[in-house]
Amino acid sequence: MRKVIILLTLLLGLSGIAYCKDVISVLTTTEDLKSITEAIGGAKVKVDSLARGYQDPHFVAAKPSFMMKAKNADLFMVIGLELEIGYEELIINGSRNQRIRIGQQGYLDVSEGVSLLEVPTTTKIDRSMGDVHPMGNPHYWLDPENVKIVAYNIANRLSELSPDNAQYFQGNLISFDKKIDEKMAEWNKKMVPFKGRKIAIYHRSWPYFVDRFGLVIACELEPKPGIPPSPAHLKEVIDIMKRDKVGVILMEVFYDEKPAQFVAGQIGAKVIVVPNSVGGTKEANDYIGLMDTIVNKLAEAFNSADKR
Amino acid sequence: MKKTIIFIIMAVLFIPLAATDARGNDVAQVQQELAVLRAQFNEMRVSYEAKIGQLETKIEDLQKTYSIQAAKPQVVAPSQTTSLGRYFQSFNPDLSVIGDFTYHGTDTKSTEFRNQFQMRQTELAFSASVDPYARGDFFFHVEQEDNEWHIGLCEGYLTLLTLPIDGLQAKVGKFKVEFGKANKLHLHNLPWVDYPNMITDYFGEEGMSEPGVSASYLIPNPWNKYIELTGQVVNNRNGVSFAGTEGTSLVYLGHLKCFHDINEASTVELGTSLATGSNDDGLGRFGSDMTTLEGVDLTYKWRPLQQGLYKSVTFQNELLFSQHNRPFFDDGTDIIDAKNINSWAGYSSFEYQFAKRWSVFGRYDFSEFPLTSSSRENAYSTGITFAQSEYCFWRLQFKQTDRNFDKNSSEVWLQCDFGLGPHRKHDY
Repeated sequence: MRKVIILLTLLLGLSGIAYCKDVISVLTTTEDLKSITEAIGGAKVKVDSLARGYQDPHFVAAKPSFMMKAKNADLFMVIGLELEIGYEELIINGSRNQRIRIGQQGYLDVSEGVSLLEVPTTTKIDRSMGDVHPMGNPHYWLDPENVKIVAYNIANRLSELSPDNAQYFQGNLISFDKKIDEKMAEWNKKMVPFKGRKIAIYHRSWPYFVDRFGLVIACELEPKPGIPPSPAHLKEVIDIMKRDKVGVILMEVFYDEKPAQFVAGQIGAKVIVVPNSVGGTKEANDYIGLMDTIVNKLAEAFNSADKR
Repeated sequence: MKKTIIFIIMAVLFIPLAATDARGNDVAQVQQELAVLRAQFNEMRVSYEAKIGQLETKIEDLQKTYSIQAAKPQVVAPSQTTSLGRYFQSFNPDLSVIGDFTYHGTDTKSTEFRNQFQMRQTELAFSASVDPYARGDFFFHVEQEDNEWHIGLCEGYLTLLTLPIDGLQAKVGKFKVEFGKANKLHLHNLPWVDYPNMITDYFGEEGMSEPGVSASYLIPNPWNKYIELTGQVVNNRNGVSFAGTEGTSLVYLGHLKCFHDINEASTVELGTSLATGSNDDGLGRFGSDMTTLEGVDLTYKWRPLQQGLYKSVTFQNELLFSQHNRPFFDDGTDIIDAKNINSWAGYSSFEYQFAKRWSVFGRYDFSEFPLTSSSRENAYSTGITFAQSEYCFWRLQFKQTDRNFDKNSSEVWLQCDFGLGPHRKHDY
């Protein structure tokens, strides 16, 4: 009996010792959060991501190997707004890591304080509306101003977990914000000539980007979020695009291009396939790279459309 | 004048000498007082230095807090909110209902609902956190049998999530036992219309589910792989391989699951299972008869991440070996001998998703029976599934079963499963 008690004490002690580390082990659900965390945390964090930037973040399988990653994490970070509803709980429960349970210091929903769009205002929300998110559209990271709030939330939590490095995180946060402000000026300059320009989108990932840069969404190829395009709906999209002279269809890298190419072929429009997440393409290797890719490709497409 | 000068010289010389004695006493006193003052000063210095240090730390902390707060970006546009607010709270469990509707066409005359429609099963599921330490899950099944509707508890268990030993989790209640892969699945979660013959022939129509306790442990290893060992003790009431409704003993199970990412698109899972318990049917004719089952399961999954919405493959296989020690009667009353009946069963299934909402599958079943290893059936199934959405699918399945002990059978099913509410997510 005494040996059992000693063994249990040792096991508990070792668990405690393992937690007191210089480098915070962070597991994020998306590569966008990974990129921002690396910018804020620098050498004081080691970050991994469950989803890859080129996969649909709604459908990430709760693989046992992900549970092992979560088991070793000091901080589990999510986009929130039910983006991870399909796998978050399975991974946290399967990891058996008490530090990262919802409500603990090791769990961070970075959406706190971000400016949300498409928060339903109707009294009834149900699945007849498609794959709706009842707390708002979760793709908020595509607005750089929201990313500054996300970065702030991350800096705050990292500082709580590692108070000795709070000044370091704060310094990185200030540098990150400055970089975003500089790039915003650059992105605004590229997009200002196209303010008010109408685009078609495949899935409702883009409202935040569109809102920030003054574009307008004329129509969506998905009849409702998460529902693949039907021939009847594509006909409606073609009619709208012809009527409103929409020359660009913006879509993510992980959707089937065929419906979009069909529509574009009918009216001489251009399909712009871009990542909506860091890591979605080689160029989008961090958050700045992601936004550079989207802005540059759109600007190029608009310029090309204007010349035609 | 001379006398005055001499006097002054003498005074200058002698007054200090005369004063020395008195000064000596004063110096000693002054030194004493100085020592006291020095001690007091040192004491004050130490005290103030400590206080200054505390204040400096406080200032530093405040500066840190202020700096992070100062860096908080200002939100220019206010967020939209619903009348419910940014978050909603609910102490009600997640409630879901899943209906399984079928048409079963078959040439087997003894089948209930032969060539008829059937609401084969309706599952009511309730899931919620019980407290910070555990969650509860209940699954009720509503089914029709002999023209009567019955509701039964398929599973109802408490999962203890925060045990003091790292990697350990436990469960108490009624649950589908951890033997292989298919036994744990609910009807609506099967990639086929029916359970593999291995499950129905060795565990019963919907597999084996019993009240008991379960503990699972993630085995630490240098490769950081998911290696889970599960041990379970459940009531011995399974009538197919074990004691049946008269059973008074327990069944002991173990399962080892090893999971490996081959690459980001492919995974392989290898499992081994063991179950042992008495098959004493309660008539008291024998006591040492035991059934032991061993199982192996191997599952390969492929889903390329970028095309993951449109393409995937699942190759799932299981084998089961049974040793069933059983009495051998002459006229049904006297035991002549006890015999160990060795039998085995298995299945192999291949499913290919070729479009966002479409997949096809084929499955081969081979099964003997726990009590008669000479009886065998081979079954060949194929089918197609259309997932209307995440919450509703349609499936068409054909199955040909060849038997050496009875008539062969041909079956066709049309299945529609549809769900309401947030159902608990299924394991990978």
